[in-house]
Formats: sequence, C-alpha cells, structure tokens
Amino acid sequence: MPGRSDGMIAHLVAGTKRLLGLHRPGRSLVILPDDVFLVSFPKSGNTWTRFLLANLVHPEQAATFANIHRLIPDPSVTTKREFDRIGRPRIIKSHECFDPRYPRVIYILRDPRDVVLSQYHYHRKLKRLADDSPLEKFVARFLAGETCPHGSWGENVTTWLTSRHNDPRFLLLRYEDMVADPRRELTRVAVFLNMTPDAQRISQAVERSAADQMRKLEKAQSDQSSLTKDSRKDLSFVRAAKSGGWSSELPDSLVEQLEAKWGHIMTFLGYELATSKALSIEPEMVSFMPDKPR
Amino acid sequence: MIKRLIAGGKRLFGLHHPGRNHQVFPDDVFLVSYPKSGNTWTRFLIANLVYPDRNPDFSNINDLIPDPEALQKRRLDRLPRPRIIKSHQYFDPRYPKVIYIARDPRDVVLSEYHFDIKRRAIGEDYPVQQFVSRFVRGEVNHPYGTWGENTATWFYTRHNSPRFLLVTYEALQSDAVPEMGRIADFLGIAADKQRIAFAVEQSSADRMRELEKKQAHLWSSTRETRSDKPFVRKAKAGGWRTELPESSVAEIETAWGAMMRNLGYELAVSSLAHAGAE
Repeated sequence: MPGRSDGMIAHLVAGTKRLLGLHRPGRSLVILPDDVFLVSFPKSGNTWTRFLLANLVHPEQAATFANIHRLIPDPSVTTKREFDRIGRPRIIKSHECFDPRYPRVIYILRDPRDVVLSQYHYHRKLKRLADDSPLEKFVARFLAGETCPHGSWGENVTTWLTSRHNDPRFLLLRYEDMVADPRRELTRVAVFLNMTPDAQRISQAVERSAADQMRKLEKAQSDQSSLTKDSRKDLSFVRAAKSGGWSSELPDSLVEQLEAKWGHIMTFLGYELATSKALSIEPEMVSFMPDKPR
Repeated sequence: MIKRLIAGGKRLFGLHHPGRNHQVFPDDVFLVSYPKSGNTWTRFLIANLVYPDRNPDFSNINDLIPDPEALQKRRLDRLPRPRIIKSHQYFDPRYPKVIYIARDPRDVVLSEYHFDIKRRAIGEDYPVQQFVSRFVRGEVNHPYGTWGENTATWFYTRHNSPRFLLVTYEALQSDAVPEMGRIADFLGIAADKQRIAFAVEQSSADRMRELEKKQAHLWSSTRETRSDKPFVRKAKAGGWRTELPESSVAEIETAWGAMMRNLGYELAVSSLAHAGAE
C-alpha cells in the first residue's frame, strides 16, 4: 500500500520537525498573557498594518518582506524555534475567527466589496484562479466562506464584534480610515499598545510603510516572503492600496449580492450601501452591539 | 524533553486526543453547546434515536456520539460516517452542520457549580457569588470562552442558516418529542412519533441516573469524581429562581442580557429587561 507508507513518511518528517522546533505552531502556539494579536479577515490590509506596527515598535530596523515574519510573527509561517526567540510583548498576526485565548486584539476591518476584489486578484497571482475565471463565481464562493479557511467575511467579523466590541482589550481599525489618515490611526494603535505616541516616530513608521516603499521592497524580496513566493511575477502583491475600487470594478449585480447578505453588518460598521436590496437591519444584532463604532 | 517525546510518540500512533485540531469531514454534524447545557442528555437522546439497537449508555456513548477531547484520534478517524460529534467549542468555521443547544446561563452557572464540587475543582463551601463572578469573567471554562462569547459567536453567524439548528434546553425539557422531531428532520432521519418517544423514554433522567450508578467508573466525565454527588442532577429548568442570589442574577443579566433576550429568556432585573433594545 504505497499511499499508507507515504502517509507514514510524511508523519515521521512532521514528527522530526516538531522535535527540532522547525514546525509552524499554528493553533497550538502557546499564548502568553501579554501577547497582542493583529487580526483581520484576509486581504483587509493586514500586511500593511503589520509593516506599520513593526516600523512603529522596532524603529531600529525598517520592516521588510524578509524580516516581517520575525518582527510580527505569523503562527502559520514563523517556525516554533523562531517564535521562542521573539522578545515580549509579542505582536502576532492572525486571520482567525474569535479565539477566547487571545488576550488583546487589534482587529482590522475592510469593506467586503473591496476585500472580495483584493482576494480575487491575489488568488490569480497565486495561480489558484485563471485570468479569465469569472468574478461572479468567485463572489458566490466568497459569500459562502469557501475562498479561505477563516470563515466567511461576515462570520469572521461577527464573531469578533459580538464577543469583544466595546471591550478595553479590543481595538477596532477600519482600513478606510487608515488610508485616509494613517498617522491618526497609528496614534490610536500606539495608545492601545501603551506607548507614548511620539509624532516623529509615527511619521517615520508611516513613511517606511508607504505603498511605494512596499512596492519597492516587494520587487526586491518577492522570493523571500511566504506571501509572494512561487506566485506570478507579472501581478503585484501590493496593488492599488486604495479604498472604494469596487465602485468601478464590481458589477452592480455582485454589489447587490454582497449587500443582501451582509448589509446589516456593513451599515453597522459605517459602510454606506449602494443598493436597496440589503436586508433590514437585524434587531438582535443591533441590541447586542448598542454603540456604533466611534 | 521526555514529555515532548511521549507526546510525539502518542501523536505518531494516533493515540492523542485531537481536541479542536481534528479533521472535519463534509458530512459531519456537530452537537455543540456550552458546558453544562444539557449536552450529555441530548447526546443520549440523539444516540437513542439514531442507534436504537446499540443500547446507548455511559460505556459506549463516546463511540456513538464521539467527543474529540476524550477519544483517541485513531478511533475518531475510523468511526462510520456520517458522524455526529459532540463539541463545546465556540464558533468554528469548519463545522458543516451544527445543532446548538442553548441554556439559560442562570441555570448553567449553577449546574457548573455543582459539577465543580463533584469533580473537586472547588469545595462544598465555595461561595456561589464568587463562583458566578468568575463564570461571568470566563475563568471557569476558559478554553470555551464565556457563555456569552460561545453562544453569540454561533448565534449571530449561523442563526439564519439551513445548516444550523438552535434548540434550547428548556424547550427540550417541556416538549421533548416535538423538539426531537426537529432534530430528526435536521439529521435527515425519517422517524415516526413512536421511535422518537422511545428515544425520549430511554434517555429519561431516571434511566440516566440508574446508568450513572452502575457505570460512573466507565465514563471520562464521572471517573474519579465524588461518588456522593450525582452527575445527573435535577434535570430541570429554572432552579436559579430559588438557588441563585439576586446580586448574581443581576451580574449575569448585565453581562449577557441582550443575548438572553434573543434566546427568549425573560430577564428578572427589571431595569435591564428593556435596556439596549432601541
């Protein structure tokens, strides 16, 4: 039975890696009480925010695609051995739905109409989708939560908001607010991290993490990052770095589908709806979260 | 290092308990609840409905409706499909179909209090108020989140989905047969009233008490716990009205009032009963 012995060998390799600390801890990561998690649904500006935070907290070295997984580690990429060498308090990247073990959370939100486009382009870059793969089909899978292992956009956002919104251990950031005024939003992050929000340090972090700068780094280091390794070189990871692309790129019928499913959450989060097809706001949802975010 | 080697060896042979990290198949159904919300009773009800010829009891319940935290990975992987799997987990996007048992948190905390005395986690004279405060802060069952976190992460993500069935412990208590009819429909089991009534009878509190007396040593939840305290307790709803101090009721309703109202639990503290509804 070749299948069986292949499985056994893979098992042994995994076991040896584990023993030497070369495995990725994933969900088995031991969480420490002073950990801060940087959480978002995929393609919501997590990498940009990671650069901003790394450049804010570690001004002695500029964040790059080669060192980011050590500065702001990712349990599914950074090895256990590297994790053990990271200074505390750690800031850890995550795309997970609600996890009660996370002591403090910075959650990044982004308009799902832009998220779906960003993910569509990224999956083309990763060669998971052909160039002519219809957007309609992708949106249908996106709505069903089938495009990534972290739930649907609505599920991911809802699990965090219903459990932690208005909690002092939770900071909500909107990608759109960060694009509009990165200094102001990064100042909020600094306060949340109990840092003195030094204007010069914040400006430096914003400059070092600017889209142009990140594009340059991507060109030079694309093979050194798990985000871009083995992906198409003719498409870039750092794309428009703007908000609202959906209004020209996403057909009305697809906007309507997204708003019909998640309109109540989007309205609550301050994203204006373009169609009237959205479900009426669910009263329970509102009563559970009585205060609008800011 | 030795501990790590033992754990590694167990993992290699599939003898570890996979917990949240087990493999999920597309035809799996999960029976989810916060701890002490009637999960064991519902497990017996469903086992008696789906596998009546296996005579479900405390010795085989884990093979019929497995618990990934108490069953070895090797056995979990080899169970016949479709599997019905017990879980106390907060929202997990991988679960394809979910039956969620909700229970009034004012009763859940009392049940947990008595269970923690039985398993010697606290002494008999541990103050209830203090226990409730820890419960509200999520310190009692922290791997599963607080009652509010566990319930809300499932309810608000899935309550409109055809892959989700919400059942309250209280409705199961007062209308077991029609509620089990809903569960049978959800599982796609053609069950007539007679078969359902049989499952309810086989899972009655009296019968489960009898089984517990004989088999407490065979089951992971009762093994090595105090034998002078039963696992199957009153099996009733509303005990909090007489047993829970008013200040504790207020503490629970302040934390989770909105979620409780959404599940149909009337609040006792009048100042909270209508707050936040606008």
